[in-house]
Amino acid sequence: MKYFQTNESILFGLLVLLCIFLSFYNPQFYSIQNIHSILRSSSTVMIVAFGMTILLTSGEVDLSVGALMSFVTVIVMDVINITGSISLGLIAVFGFCLFIGLINGLVRTVLNVNSLIATLAMMLILQGSVYVYSMAAIYNTHLIPLFSFIGQGFFLNIPMPVVIMLFILPFFVVLLNYTRYGRYFSSIGSNPDAAKLSGINNNRYKVIGFVITSLLVGVSGVILASLMDTGQQGSAKGFELIVIAAVLLGGTSFMGGKGTIIGTILGILILKIIDNGIILMRIPQEFQLIVPGFILILAVYFDGVRKKNSG
Amino acid sequence: MKIVSWFLAAIITLSLAMSISANPKRIGYIVNYGTHEWYQNVIFGLQSRADELGIDLEVMDANLDINKQTQQAEDFMTKGVDVLIMTPVNEEGVVPILRKAKAEGMPTVLEGNPAKGMTTLFAICDYDAGYKAGDAVGRILVSRGESQARVMDVGLPLLSATLLRSLGFMEALAQHVDAVKVHELDGSGMIDSSVEVASAALAADSNINVIYGINDGSALGGLQAWRAAGLPEDDLVVAGTGSEGLAFLNEMTKEGTPYLVEAAMFPEGVGYTGMNLAVDLFNGVDVPEHKVTPTLALTVHNFAKYYDFDKAGQKRAINFENVAKIPTETKCTKYSSDL
Amino acid sequence: MVNINFKELNIESVSKSFPGVQALDNVSMKISAGKVHALMGENGAGKSTLIKILAGAYSKDTGNILFDQNKLNIRNPNDSLNYGIKVVYQEISLISEFSVAENIFLDNFPTNSLGVMNWNKLYKDTEELFNRVGFNLNPKSKISDLSISQQQMVEIARAVFKNASVVIMDEPTSSLTPNEIEKLFTVIKNLKQNNIAILYVTHKIDEIFKIADEVTVLRDGQHISNKLISETNEELIIKDMVGRTVNATFERPKDILSAKTVMKVEKISSKNKIKNVSFDLHEGEILGFFGLMGAGRTELAKAVFGYDKITEGQIEVNNNIYKSFNTSTMVNNGIGYITEDRKGEGIVKDMNLRENMSLPSLKIFEDLFIINRKREKKAADEYIKKFSVKTPSSERLITLLSGGNQQKVLVSRWLIRELKIIILDEPTRGVDIGAKTEVLSLINDLAKQGLSVLLMTSEMNDLLSLSDRILVMADGKISKEFYRGKVTQEEIFKASVN
Repeated sequence: MKYFQTNESILFGLLVLLCIFLSFYNPQFYSIQNIHSILRSSSTVMIVAFGMTILLTSGEVDLSVGALMSFVTVIVMDVINITGSISLGLIAVFGFCLFIGLINGLVRTVLNVNSLIATLAMMLILQGSVYVYSMAAIYNTHLIPLFSFIGQGFFLNIPMPVVIMLFILPFFVVLLNYTRYGRYFSSIGSNPDAAKLSGINNNRYKVIGFVITSLLVGVSGVILASLMDTGQQGSAKGFELIVIAAVLLGGTSFMGGKGTIIGTILGILILKIIDNGIILMRIPQEFQLIVPGFILILAVYFDGVRKKNSG
Repeated sequence: MKIVSWFLAAIITLSLAMSISANPKRIGYIVNYGTHEWYQNVIFGLQSRADELGIDLEVMDANLDINKQTQQAEDFMTKGVDVLIMTPVNEEGVVPILRKAKAEGMPTVLEGNPAKGMTTLFAICDYDAGYKAGDAVGRILVSRGESQARVMDVGLPLLSATLLRSLGFMEALAQHVDAVKVHELDGSGMIDSSVEVASAALAADSNINVIYGINDGSALGGLQAWRAAGLPEDDLVVAGTGSEGLAFLNEMTKEGTPYLVEAAMFPEGVGYTGMNLAVDLFNGVDVPEHKVTPTLALTVHNFAKYYDFDKAGQKRAINFENVAKIPTETKCTKYSSDL
Repeated sequence: MVNINFKELNIESVSKSFPGVQALDNVSMKISAGKVHALMGENGAGKSTLIKILAGAYSKDTGNILFDQNKLNIRNPNDSLNYGIKVVYQEISLISEFSVAENIFLDNFPTNSLGVMNWNKLYKDTEELFNRVGFNLNPKSKISDLSISQQQMVEIARAVFKNASVVIMDEPTSSLTPNEIEKLFTVIKNLKQNNIAILYVTHKIDEIFKIADEVTVLRDGQHISNKLISETNEELIIKDMVGRTVNATFERPKDILSAKTVMKVEKISSKNKIKNVSFDLHEGEILGFFGLMGAGRTELAKAVFGYDKITEGQIEVNNNIYKSFNTSTMVNNGIGYITEDRKGEGIVKDMNLRENMSLPSLKIFEDLFIINRKREKKAADEYIKKFSVKTPSSERLITLLSGGNQQKVLVSRWLIRELKIIILDEPTRGVDIGAKTEVLSLINDLAKQGLSVLLMTSEMNDLLSLSDRILVMADGKISKEFYRGKVTQEEIFKASVN
């Protein structure tokens, strides 16, 4: 019951309405292909958004996820090209992501730099240094079928990115709702002093939040590289904003203290279905930015109204 | 007397030789977006020709910042280069730079986009490049016995240059078969956005047999979306544009790939031509207002003539000689003013 | 503008009550123009309430305030300012990036007819003002470049620049060095010569003998005494201030100090005020820490609990010695902490009652990694019953509970786990008198069950009725140690003002 609180019900209702509307407009909406397409492009966002939900719940934010993701596509493609081994490629990616997550977390907690600024700086550093790593895009020369399978394959007729997302999802639902760590993240975000005076090591959990988010970016980055069949500098542009917008739309508070994975998933589905609908309805694609912008403002506004009524 | 005439002859020969090889010593190039593969290769072409002529080339990157470009132009003028080459960040923004260059008597050459007050420009013809690719795809379809081309255009509708490419492609195609544009998409010119929008479009209607991309990322993105949707590649033809880097070579050389045509724009050739133009301008040779650089539809059969592709080492080397032999238009068939 | 020629500011039988507390009870006093009138009293004596009434921040229930025989009608802070009543508060409220002159004329910049700042006039006016009150400061200096005493002078200058009649100073010397205090006194003497009436609120007794002409003592909202400074002395004033009867004393075990030591604090210092503090705590002991505002009680509590890092010294608990530790170290050692700032540092507003209660103890409700919500709820319900928390259920959002009930949740937060030591910071602050005894008796009961208590308080009553031992703090240090039953209020107070 708790996991379909008012906010989620509203989002779910909105989602249903959207689906009904679009299917009236274009019956292709319910084609298996279209559902695959929506879910596949949602899943890379969702995977990162699980981490971002935790971060926002604990009152932090990570703007470097898009830049990191683009860097990951380059690293994974390059390392597999050189070594011919997917495992080594993954080790390189997750090692790098762990390192970046740690830096983000330590700059936030040890140097006490606001995470909005710390991760903005990290975004710039990554955007620049990916070109130091390689000026040119890295193309798939290893041609290992398993690698293409990660982003493009199907398992039981479900796109692999979706399978990977579904594999990660329960872990985060449980983490945030049923373990003490979930409570720690929300207490740190809601009232850091109270959390600290309850014996919680705020800084440790903040660092963990940043590391988890970066590792998830690693997962999504590998999927993206497989999907593009390329390691591409400058890809995943604006990805961080889509992730944050979806998490906020899902009902997680930007001020921390309140986070919901289910809400995040609904938020992403809504944004992605709007994206999809704009293409299905052949509306100019600029509306892919305009419509979610308005929806986000409304969502956060209604959230504030509801909070005022209940408080 | 004999000695004197010998002497004279020697002096005349020498001065003649000097006037022929009176090349500029230093040339400055301000690129608008130096991290892009296309411009990397343009710079490579400029540099190659500069090395052949013994010219010192200095490159600065405006990184899409018009203020930066203005500052860099002033720096070059103060330093006193012999010719200034620029790829304008935007067409209005460079007008004051051109005015100042004229006032200081600095010969200036533009690349890519024309601007008010310019002397000369070297650039590809977007329409014609697209047209050549469309023509090649049309022939392939006809040879397959197809009568209709159903096209997914992974484009960039906000830019006139890319609109011209799409237009040329479609018009050439229509010369061969019944050409229908089923999807007109905005893939932002990026492979990841192209995958995403193409996926959605294919879900809505996958009855397509041609994917056209206004650059290599767009074409590849469209193809990757096709693959991720698990669609059969047998009847598909993919055409990209630009020959920006290694992307099309990697894909085109794969066994059984539907990526059959590339509207090559030879960025290295663009640079090579541009350097020649700059030298001509410096020497007072009559230069055209628009020097068109070579474009050609490349396929797996003919690319080796122009590019020596080292797949293992991920390198390509251009054959300037053969590129120079490609017949070029004196004028583009269509300009953005025709849109 | 009101005519502010007056001989005396008359406060006649002013009363003010808050729910559960009579903050001021028929208080009368006269403050003469050109004199310094000291107002003294313990925390909660009613000094701040009186200041706030004069400043227009509170309205009085009954009584009158007059200039000689003319009644003042103070309905809001603006009225008060118009009468020339200016308050210089403890905290500096200047804009640190502005110049001295800009700060003084902040709401009244001199401008020319076009509304453009007249900088010359601004600096000249400031200089004139400084000459009048005897300051020596450059009007162009930036506030952030000044010392605290200089900043305080700017505060005073700002207060008096427009027709000040009465200047109220609230603990003006609390952050000043002796040298700076001397300078401040010179300024006050200058104000006197300008025929301004000065109400000087302080707890530092030695100061008033240097600067005040008269002293009034309040205690529990009542006027206790009013004497010329020449007719009184330190002993008499302290007696007036602390002569309150202790409401309730509790029976405490006699041999508690021979129980085993559960915590040994050795020479700890922190960046936050604490200097070289050492003490032992015995099992079941209630160790009281008394200190006036700013003595460092809360800071000590937070340093011991690991909230603030200690820079020197060490703490020994459970046979472990810690030099560097955080709150989680201390919680794992069976130590709990209840803050004085319930809203700011106590409750987690996005969580319900149950979640707030179990926050430090989630580990004990875990089955593998999952919280067993049934057991958690059962524990919460048990404490809701035990403390009769008024709530429909344990799932109620904490912010929907009343303050007192929230406090009960915060106490339960620590009692549902195995606890050896609890640190209580002002446990009876904001609690009404009836509930106070209840809280104190709960503390006593817990101690009798073997819990050791660090009781940080500024309430003499709490201190004397519960503590087995009393450590008096002043300026971040422990100034004196007393034992239960062998100490008077006067001795404690004296130790706290040194």
